[in-house]
Amino acid sequence: MGGLFSYFRNLLGSREMRILILGLDGAGKTTILYRLQVGEVVTTIPTIGFNVEQVTYKNLKFQVWDLGGQTSIRPYWRCYYSNTDAIIYVVDSADKDRIGISKDELYYMLKEEELQGAILVVLANKQDMEGCLSVAEVHQALGLDALKNRTFQIFKTSAVKGDGLDPAMDWLSNALQNRK
Amino acid sequence: MYTLLSGFYKYIVQKDEFCILILGLDNAGKTTYLEAAKTKITKNYKRMNPSKITTTVGLNIGKIDIAGVRLNFWDLGGQEELQSLWDKYYAECHAIIYIVDSNDRERIPESKETFDKMISSEHLSGVPLLLLANKQDIPECMGVREVKPIFNKNAHLIGRRDCMVMAVSALNGDGVDEGIRWLVDCIKRNSIIRPPRNKDEM
Repeated sequence: MGGLFSYFRNLLGSREMRILILGLDGAGKTTILYRLQVGEVVTTIPTIGFNVEQVTYKNLKFQVWDLGGQTSIRPYWRCYYSNTDAIIYVVDSADKDRIGISKDELYYMLKEEELQGAILVVLANKQDMEGCLSVAEVHQALGLDALKNRTFQIFKTSAVKGDGLDPAMDWLSNALQNRK
Repeated sequence: MYTLLSGFYKYIVQKDEFCILILGLDNAGKTTYLEAAKTKITKNYKRMNPSKITTTVGLNIGKIDIAGVRLNFWDLGGQEELQSLWDKYYAECHAIIYIVDSNDRERIPESKETFDKMISSEHLSGVPLLLLANKQDIPECMGVREVKPIFNKNAHLIGRRDCMVMAVSALNGDGVDEGIRWLVDCIKRNSIIRPPRNKDEM
């Protein structure tokens, strides 16, 4: 039945893709959202609640939700899971102390039934900082090798400098278009 | 009664599931190969434009139903720093496809070294191996005859497992399905040692 629905939905033209940006507090989610939308760095304050913006990237429309990442509000992430096409998971590569927490949150999130079909993009953010984790280290620290049923990709980014976001969005839009 | 019927239905419909690792140096054409394989075998699959394929840092998954079994492809990133992650997948895979860029003569020794390191892992003993000399669409590339002796030097590491060297072009799809059909036969033969992955365990 679901297949039939999506078949008709495809006939009716592409709908807006729904994307969640998640990650611990201070990972740079809001900065990334506005980098994608307006192309510049905005001064942000810790998000309580959410920011939602429409982002157009290469003729594809995305509805991007940036949810607050503080410990107390992380339980509310799940309220936003339904109908999500992709998850952008942002990691602060310079924050080695909390990468374990980040791993746990990612793990619990991916277990959710509603996110089984969602595509995962991990952004190893803050690559401009010295002594930050490399991509392979982030991969290992997040325990991504346990993920054997889901297509995912990690990208090095620096939201402040704007590095690495374009390849990530390119890959994501290809992956979303190719998905059946 | 429902459980009985649905159990029976599952028994009929469920296919044995096997996992295949696609490895090789970066830019060998692993992701392109996976796309070509999906296109060749799965009907109505719309192929991703090869020019849009970027460097993999992570995991691409491809599922292909062929000859009564389901193949689960894991296409991993091949960059040097990512090679340390490969061994996490060894214990669970049922076959290896190792892809060599036949046109990159300079990096053949590096590829050979990586290959030796991979093949000597104890978690991979007895696992069928398909070695692909990719990029045969480029006229001046090395043929199978040239590639095969290089990788065969350490025959003791390859041991008694099923092993085959083939020429392919992931870009235009030549030789892709023959290799996979060969591999499926090997996996089925080897399934006494490496039984199929059970769906309920996932």
